[in-house]
Amino acid sequence: MSVPAPPSQHRPAKAPRTSPTTPLAVLVVSAAAGGGAVALAPSGARTWALAVAAVAWVCVAATVVVSHQLVQRARRTAAAQTSETGQLKAQSAQMLAQITSLANVTLPAVAQQLRDGTSAADVLSSVPLPSDPLLGRIVHTFAAAVEEDVRHAVALEGERQQARSELNEVAAALDQLTQETLLAAVARLREGQSADTVLAELDLPRLPMVRIPAESFIRELARSERRAAAGQAASAKALSRVQAKSVSMLADLRDMQERHGEEVFGDLLKLDHSTSQLGLMTDRLALLMGGRSSRAWNKPIVMESILRGAVGRIAAYQRVRLHCSTTAAISGFAAEGVMHLLAELMDNAANFSPPIDEVHVYVEDRSAGMVVTIEDSGLKMADAAMRHAEEAVSGRMTDLASLQGTRLGLAVVGRLAAKYGISVNYRPSSRGGTGVVVLLPPQLLAQQRESVSRAATDHPTPAPAPAPAPEPTSRPGVPERPAARPELPEQRQPRRATDSTPNGLPVRAPGRTMAEAEREREQRRSVSRTADEDRPESGAGEQRPARDAGARFGAFHRGRRSAIGAAKPDARSEAGGIAKPDARPETGGTAEPDARPGSEPPVAP
Amino acid sequence: MTRRPVDTGDPDRLYTVTAGRSHAEGSFDLVTLIVSECRPTAGMQSEHARILELCEHPTAVVEIAAELKLPITVVRILLGDLLDMGRITARHPRAAQSVASLPDSALLKEVLHGLRNL
Repeated sequence: MSVPAPPSQHRPAKAPRTSPTTPLAVLVVSAAAGGGAVALAPSGARTWALAVAAVAWVCVAATVVVSHQLVQRARRTAAAQTSETGQLKAQSAQMLAQITSLANVTLPAVAQQLRDGTSAADVLSSVPLPSDPLLGRIVHTFAAAVEEDVRHAVALEGERQQARSELNEVAAALDQLTQETLLAAVARLREGQSADTVLAELDLPRLPMVRIPAESFIRELARSERRAAAGQAASAKALSRVQAKSVSMLADLRDMQERHGEEVFGDLLKLDHSTSQLGLMTDRLALLMGGRSSRAWNKPIVMESILRGAVGRIAAYQRVRLHCSTTAAISGFAAEGVMHLLAELMDNAANFSPPIDEVHVYVEDRSAGMVVTIEDSGLKMADAAMRHAEEAVSGRMTDLASLQGTRLGLAVVGRLAAKYGISVNYRPSSRGGTGVVVLLPPQLLAQQRESVSRAATDHPTPAPAPAPAPEPTSRPGVPERPAARPELPEQRQPRRATDSTPNGLPVRAPGRTMAEAEREREQRRSVSRTADEDRPESGAGEQRPARDAGARFGAFHRGRRSAIGAAKPDARSEAGGIAKPDARPETGGTAEPDARPGSEPPVAP
Repeated sequence: MTRRPVDTGDPDRLYTVTAGRSHAEGSFDLVTLIVSECRPTAGMQSEHARILELCEHPTAVVEIAAELKLPITVVRILLGDLLDMGRITARHPRAAQSVASLPDSALLKEVLHGLRNL
């Protein structure tokens, strides 16, 4: 853009045009005035007047001429200065135009070309340079600086791209590591593979930056997995010994309770209780460590025994009130688990309620299964605590890492519930505390009720068959058997038929042998007793299998009573001496061995 | 790990049967005769129910213990409960006269011998 020159130029040309007329007019007028003065003067003074006039005129003329010349000179000087000013203005305008074009056109063009990659020399030769050397130097300097900067920027951009791509590569490798490799590694390590195997099999990222930490991570993980597994195995192993010991202690205690009299009975019961609590604690730990329970049952256990077995393992068992009228039984495989689960829940309820309040346990037989409700009247659980408890008993958190301190019971409940499909729910209790509702699914229940009705019908005495009767005891005429609880042989029959291989070979469930042996024994015993009662006068003593002395005594008493009548019921007062409960059975000719239940081989039916 | 033998006993411990008591209150001795006075009702402890069934005819304490497979002390505690509730009555055998009225053992042996020879 061209800057217009300022229009402030004076025009001093008028002065030289007008300048000669004024002095001439002054001279003419002054001459005329002198002449007039001379003419008017009296004749005597005419000479003086003429002289004065002439001198005056000369003076005026001289003054006029001198001043005129001075003015002329000044005008010339002014004109010269004016022309010089104009010249300088033109020059500055030209300079301005050059700078403008430099700033607006040349420098941007140079910068652009340099950015496009042309070298500074090429650019400077192709661009019209300003004539001013200073401006030219400026352009050169500018070009050099821009070229340097452009080179720098290109180098930086390259580095940036490289860093970017490396970063992307690392990110992808890390992504793959975290998303796939590490997960696979963790899974394989959990399966028990060694760190070297896992590292060899897995496709680790090649970048050393990722590979080295990944390797060390996997090795460390393998070490901790091994440590955890070894710790668990060692604990389970050690605990299994403790469990075996406590079970044998319980058996010994029971034996002593039979043998010793009332004076030590209370102490034995106390020891029994302590040992049972010990058993619960040991089982709890063993289950958490992946071990198994200390006991396993080979026969269905009726609900009352389940509840008692559970309540006997907790410290505050006397505060627990059991309300159970059902005769249903839990299948042997689940009995121990259910007992442990209920024991943990009862223990929890008793621990978290005031020591004077009772814990009530209700059992309902529903079509959906057996519902056991454990209600305490303690403090209401806080919402967070209840949520935590729900979470713990849900069985979703099976990781040992989720254990909290010494509160292990609920975690065990969760595992057992998940194992047997038992649902455990917390709710506020109508008694003011907390209630736990345990739903035992029907597949855990033994089919006890049908067997009861069949047992009633297979006896000669006509008996009402209370098929779903809740009370087990309203069965007139049915002889009470000590082992009416286990399943009866009739009931097992269909199941045994269905358990077979595709080739038709029978399949025997584990642990069934002893159960069958036990059943056979009970069956024979009941048959012989039936015969004994049907023919009391035939001297049935020899056909009866030898039982312990008390049972024989009872049978003798019944036989005598029906033969002789109730007239002399006191005839056996001396018999109290032989009524030691642990008296060895006589080895009669037909006596079957009655030493220990389950120790005899299974007898083919 | 070898498979452990499964348990064949009952899971309930004796102190749960007696609710923690270890001393019998009543004056039952081994040959006290027990007769039940009512039928078992629903919701009753199973040992109580079985005692009531067993004692529809007079039965001795020792016999009940043998049938229930429980120690005498436990049975006496349970019988004490039932006696307190009035569901059984207990009667002590009259030992002195009955011994006198019994036939002597030689005669009984002869009878037994004769029966075996039948």
